[in-house]
Amino acid sequence: MEADPTLLSLGAGLPHPSTFPFAQIGAHVAPAGASVANTAPADMLNVSVTTSSGAIEGLGKFLQYGNGRGVPSYAAFTREHTHRVHDPKYVDWDTVVSLGNTDAFVKALMLFYTSGDTLLVDEWTYPAIIGTVVPMNIQLAPVRMDAEGMVPEALDHVCTNWTGERKLRMVYTIPTAQNPTGATMSIARKRAIYAVAQKHNLVIIEDDPYYYLQFEPYTADSEHRYTNLPGITSLVPSLLSLDTDGRVIRLDSFSKVLAPGLRCGWVTAPKYITDKIQFHNETSIQQPAGVSQAIVASLMNEQWGHSGWERHLVQIQRDYAMRRDLFVDLCLKHLNGLVEFTVPDAGMFLWFRVQLKPELQGQTGVMQRVFDSMVANHVLLVPGYMFSPKGAEQKVRDEPYIRAAFSFAATTDFEAAITRLAQALEPFC
Amino acid sequence: MSFTTSTALASKLPQAKDLSHLFVPTFRIHQKSPFKAVMGTPTLDMINMAGGVPHPSTFPLEQVQATVRAPSHAAPGRTGTLSLERTQANGSTESLNELLQYNDGRGMASYCRFLRQFTEQAHAPPYADWDVVASCGNTDSIAKAVSLFCQQGDHIIVEQYSFPGALSNLVFAKVKPVPVAMDIEGVDPVALDSLCSSWTGATLLRAIYVIPTGQNPTGATMSLARRKALYAVAQKHDLVIIEDDPYYFLQLGPMPETQDTTATDMNKLSLVPSLLSLDTDGRVIRLDSFSKILAPNLRCGWITAPAYIQDRMQILNESTILQPSGLTQGVISRLLNDTWGIEGWIEHLNALRAAYAARRNLFVTLARKHLAGLATFTVPTAGMFLWMRVDLGDAATDATAMPRLLDAMKKGGVMMAPDMPFRVANAAAAAAPERYLRAAFALAETDMFEPALERLARAIASIRGSELQDTQSVACAEPIETTAPAPIAVNSST
Repeated sequence: MEADPTLLSLGAGLPHPSTFPFAQIGAHVAPAGASVANTAPADMLNVSVTTSSGAIEGLGKFLQYGNGRGVPSYAAFTREHTHRVHDPKYVDWDTVVSLGNTDAFVKALMLFYTSGDTLLVDEWTYPAIIGTVVPMNIQLAPVRMDAEGMVPEALDHVCTNWTGERKLRMVYTIPTAQNPTGATMSIARKRAIYAVAQKHNLVIIEDDPYYYLQFEPYTADSEHRYTNLPGITSLVPSLLSLDTDGRVIRLDSFSKVLAPGLRCGWVTAPKYITDKIQFHNETSIQQPAGVSQAIVASLMNEQWGHSGWERHLVQIQRDYAMRRDLFVDLCLKHLNGLVEFTVPDAGMFLWFRVQLKPELQGQTGVMQRVFDSMVANHVLLVPGYMFSPKGAEQKVRDEPYIRAAFSFAATTDFEAAITRLAQALEPFC
Repeated sequence: MSFTTSTALASKLPQAKDLSHLFVPTFRIHQKSPFKAVMGTPTLDMINMAGGVPHPSTFPLEQVQATVRAPSHAAPGRTGTLSLERTQANGSTESLNELLQYNDGRGMASYCRFLRQFTEQAHAPPYADWDVVASCGNTDSIAKAVSLFCQQGDHIIVEQYSFPGALSNLVFAKVKPVPVAMDIEGVDPVALDSLCSSWTGATLLRAIYVIPTGQNPTGATMSLARRKALYAVAQKHDLVIIEDDPYYFLQLGPMPETQDTTATDMNKLSLVPSLLSLDTDGRVIRLDSFSKILAPNLRCGWITAPAYIQDRMQILNESTILQPSGLTQGVISRLLNDTWGIEGWIEHLNALRAAYAARRNLFVTLARKHLAGLATFTVPTAGMFLWMRVDLGDAATDATAMPRLLDAMKKGGVMMAPDMPFRVANAAAAAAPERYLRAAFALAETDMFEPALERLARAIASIRGSELQDTQSVACAEPIETTAPAPIAVNSST
């Protein structure tokens, strides 16, 4: 509603902001690039949003109904950040807020797809995708992967040989630190995937929550690590940054780089698409929680700024790189002959192929027994079939894959976890 | 209102009826969250290399705090501070680290626990196995509840005037709304019974969506007798009831008869019981929201339903939003559990009711003064809406009269919501369209009420009995069909 003094409006069913009982909402935040653990209380930054507005809006705006675009200072920050990092190559791109990438995926999917359609996906993929499409009567067409992710020739092959009633129109992929395989596409791979998408006129959903968690290549030489982290300037460019057609819908999230419980993210796409997502937001979730937006907007606009935010991302990158290195060191030490894996260049996942004894390979129920053995040895990893669109098939349940995440356990527990895993796998390998 | 703790033992109450035959096919199979299925119950020394979740040491927030006002205006200036510390439990509420982490699709435990207790006190659901799941507001909950029972091509019963956010959802879902007639109390149970008995559609009617209190847009509130009658019809035709009730705690009592009457003591004014409180079968899915009783953009609410239905709701959450912002749930939980407690919360609700009642009283008094002979209405006893039937006089049968009225209002500098975005198209409505405007009396400053009503009166008077204006463009006065509704000038969330 505009503030037109000549127009008296009794149209909107909004409550009066005087009824919102919050006078101030704020947080203590570590300086950019520092961690909370390493920051003295006196050095914490004070993030505070009151009922007055200044550099950012006041609580009367953050806590009131708005539109599906989000509170302007939050939305503007995400847009400017996207411009700085990805510099989209077509003019009419825009951003729109989301509650995180899972909900954003559903919004993007529903723009183009309805009951009876088929979505192209990595042959191993994020389980929530599988859970979402089933009730919508949308099928999944898995595409073969290699160590770098989705294989372009395989994507081309599936599309060219498609005989389904409805055309294939969308492909969903996680190009960085893929969940579950940990694969990261090189720039050459991304270009090849993009070319296939152009050939078959596919929309690409680029789900990229681990984008900033890119590392230097693993080296066993622990003396010479962390000298060549990509930072912000040497990340593998995104599919969005290659997108001259406007066929990429990019999903970004604060979940892995600030915190999951904020439920904040954003989508980048051509404006005619973000307009529709805005409308869909308005008939569902509205926008991210105002408390989350207020803290993020104040933090970014009033404390860290873009350069501080980028310093923070580099620190997160380093944290995860250290975990990757420690974890891989220990896997190489303890799991020889038990598993095969590709060392991940990014993210938090390691995808193990268990080297089962020949007589156990493909045996019905073998991987259930492997999983039970892990539980009995008090170590928890995720069975591979959870990530397959065909996970209900016994054949897939017997495929020898398990996913490890090195993001959460205390690093002091890594060796114990891996030795327990070794004990659990020993009888089967 | 005030609540006494129910003494009925849950074990003496019946279990909910199994209504899973009403689910769409996908949900008929017993649903358990896949995450839980794999993770099982980890032992204490289980090392978790499974969860693809960040370590809390990466969260840069050390503490979150908020300054909150006292619950009621009786204690002006009284404020409190709530805080959420990083690693320790915060009173009844989890640590900040837990609130900022990934959690399941059910909601934070402390948030749900408070709402379970509050729901028990406010509604005492008359069956044993009900539960509460966190939501990010009723609009999203409507979409999810509908999706459990209706798929593309199905029909769902709605009030003949309804909330545009819900109607938009139905468009997206390709579920067709079947309008049922309303009177001044809301849904007419006789009309509902007749509609269901004579239904010849290809698929069964399985659900009805109602806003029983302070209805949007009509402001109608169903009496207890009306609710019981509605519930009986739902039982007869085996319908699920989606009870969308964001204005439930904004019940205002009757209009005072004289201007000298002291304000109603809200502590003593009881609430009309909810449909949930009558729900012996377990066929009500009740949607509650903090939007009108704390703040809209907290994006927090809750759903109350039988536990087996909530298992499906959890799945729906886990494949979309996961759950509402854990941080926000934590702030609300801390506020309601500790800073205010249940007594402060009820004090706050009563203060809100008094504030809304004062606005309602003023607006209705002025509307009676300025709109006599120009519009008629029923006094709302809950919520924030006045639904005015415009008396267009000799121009009533003129299809261009309403667009011309809206134009005259715009030129005269007053805006209210016209009836079209709320109306569900049907033949009866098209044949003899009564025309309505919805005024909201919550947001505008009260000194705007009189000038706004004066301007409205002038606009209506200019249309009544006048010659046709031949220069204005005439937008179609027909109710909007069930394709994507045009955005209206008001926020589509309202």
